[in-house]
Amino acid sequence: MLILLTGGSACGKSSYGEQLAARGPKPLYYIAAMQPFDDECLKKIARHRALRKDKGFETIERYTAVDSLQLPQPGGTALLECLCNLTANEMYAGGRGPLDPVQKVIDGVENLRRQTDTLIVITNDVGSDNETYSEETRQYIRYLGRINAQIACMADRVYELVAGIPLCVKGERS
Amino acid sequence: MILILGGAASGKRAYLASLGYGEEQIADGVLDDKQVLYGLEKLVAQDPAGAEGLLPDLLKKEAVACSEVGSGIIPVSYEARQAREATGRLCIRLAARAQTVVRMVAGIPVVIKGRNP
Repeated sequence: MLILLTGGSACGKSSYGEQLAARGPKPLYYIAAMQPFDDECLKKIARHRALRKDKGFETIERYTAVDSLQLPQPGGTALLECLCNLTANEMYAGGRGPLDPVQKVIDGVENLRRQTDTLIVITNDVGSDNETYSEETRQYIRYLGRINAQIACMADRVYELVAGIPLCVKGERS
Repeated sequence: MILILGGAASGKRAYLASLGYGEEQIADGVLDDKQVLYGLEKLVAQDPAGAEGLLPDLLKKEAVACSEVGSGIIPVSYEARQAREATGRLCIRLAARAQTVVRMVAGIPVVIKGRNP
């Protein structure tokens, strides 16, 4: 079962993702793609850690190359957070770039799906404000948009979170 | 309380008008004694750290409207990032307490919680 959660910033994706994951078979893995660049990232990571506390997740930090990630035990549940970080990390992996991250990210999701019973993937809607961005940022928005569309196509269920309310946009509501 | 969410120019004001609220009943980005607060995102941006403290006053409103501010690239400025995070988190708390949550899509009020008033 592959479930994709999308939505803007601070709309409740993580907490809904954790709720869904907690219903899946054990073991529970949390795959964190956010790199602790600075204090603000560390605070964000700490907030997410506090949310997950006592929910039985084993955290695996993996900033790139999810396509070769081997989970300790197959058949459980994984929550991958999030494609927006993973996409940016793949674009600038190895200090070069920007590289095309699309296939690498999709292969990463496919790799995790093969090793899990339930895979929950969190992404972000970054293209709905119609602001003017630099060409490089626009390229990132296009890459992430393509990744989101392809993962949604692969997914059994897709939810958009709006102010903490899950709206089912593909598949059956659980 | 009805919470009305939507992007810029998605029809939030027109929806308020359809519910019978006139301009004189709608405060724009300020907390006063009017029945409706429009532009919650502007109010939060004035003091993102104090956003949670707005909750009791907002719950007394008949309707609160907020623009979608979290669906773009993470802003470069620290203040802007704090404001959009605080707006999102406050909307989650408001939505949990609201009788009705309406999301505007191209002028169409989509009821995502409760019943269309």
